Amino acid sequence: MNVVILYLILLKATMTSFSGLASLPMLRNDLVVQHRVLTDRELNTAVAVGSMGPGPLGLYVVSVGYFVAGVPGAFAGMLALMTPAFLIVPMVRHFGRRADHPRAKQVIQSVTLAAAGLILSASVPLARDAITGVVPALLAGAVFVLMVATRIDTVWMIVGSAAAGLLWQVVQ
Amino acid sequence: MAALQRELVSRKGWISADQYGLSYGLARITPGTNLLAFCAAAGWFIRRWPGAFAAVAAVTVPSAVLAVILTHSYQQLRAHPAAVGAFNGIVAAAVGMMAAAAWLLIRSQAAGSSRLRPWALVAAALILSLGFSLSPIPVLALAAITGLLWPEPAKR
Repeated sequence: MNVVILYLILLKATMTSFSGLASLPMLRNDLVVQHRVLTDRELNTAVAVGSMGPGPLGLYVVSVGYFVAGVPGAFAGMLALMTPAFLIVPMVRHFGRRADHPRAKQVIQSVTLAAAGLILSASVPLARDAITGVVPALLAGAVFVLMVATRIDTVWMIVGSAAAGLLWQVVQ
Repeated sequence: MAALQRELVSRKGWISADQYGLSYGLARITPGTNLLAFCAAAGWFIRRWPGAFAAVAAVTVPSAVLAVILTHSYQQLRAHPAAVGAFNGIVAAAVGMMAAAAWLLIRSQAAGSSRLRPWALVAAALILSLGFSLSPIPVLALAAITGLLWPEPAKR
């Protein structure tokens, strides 16, 4: 896939979301369903990769770019991640204190909640690929609980899950 | 971001507490990753555009390089029989993380609002996407319109 097209597709996803994984449904729709240049397994792995580093969760976009088009693709992903951030500069200059406008907050809140619904929807096919038995189901459940209820760094959840998966393979 | 406040405002004095507050507030309504938008605003206050570019690049580039290295290692190892079990564990964890990300988003937005509204929006988006295969843009657009036309009941 052309790197410029890839950048624009990734940018569309990052521009229409307001937090980490909220760009995932759009990205899955474009790259997995429409263009078929990415598999659900690769998207799942990208999410895991994004949560291993110290940076923001949105970094999974870089890994997605690499899966689709190698290093130039990863570069396109990094630029797509960075681009929307600069929109804040004209906002700082022109809107100033109007950030607290109730109507603006209301719209952002509604879009964020819809994004949560879309993430759940996008996780269904990813779960179909990843949850192949009782052990993966238990791992997914354990990670969910740890993420919601504790402040443990996600990298340890990934390392623990890899160890558990490896152990289960050996036992079998 | 709390660590950045301590560093930028209290210790170095590069931006004022007001500028920090403005950057923080606007970052939440800027598309994309909030942390990056915050860095762009803080960088802009310190050194205008060069500052904004430097701040965003400083946060993104090292992590992006790490992401490429990790993804590359995965591609090298994925056919290796010994690694298959580990990768199965990792993708299962990713599914749990995605569900948790959705849950944490709902929890952050549902705080202090009436119970019906947040869940109605989440359920509507889920049904439109999963049941009617509507693509994300129209779902998000409908949500934005809903936000405009269905205001939150005033807090008592």
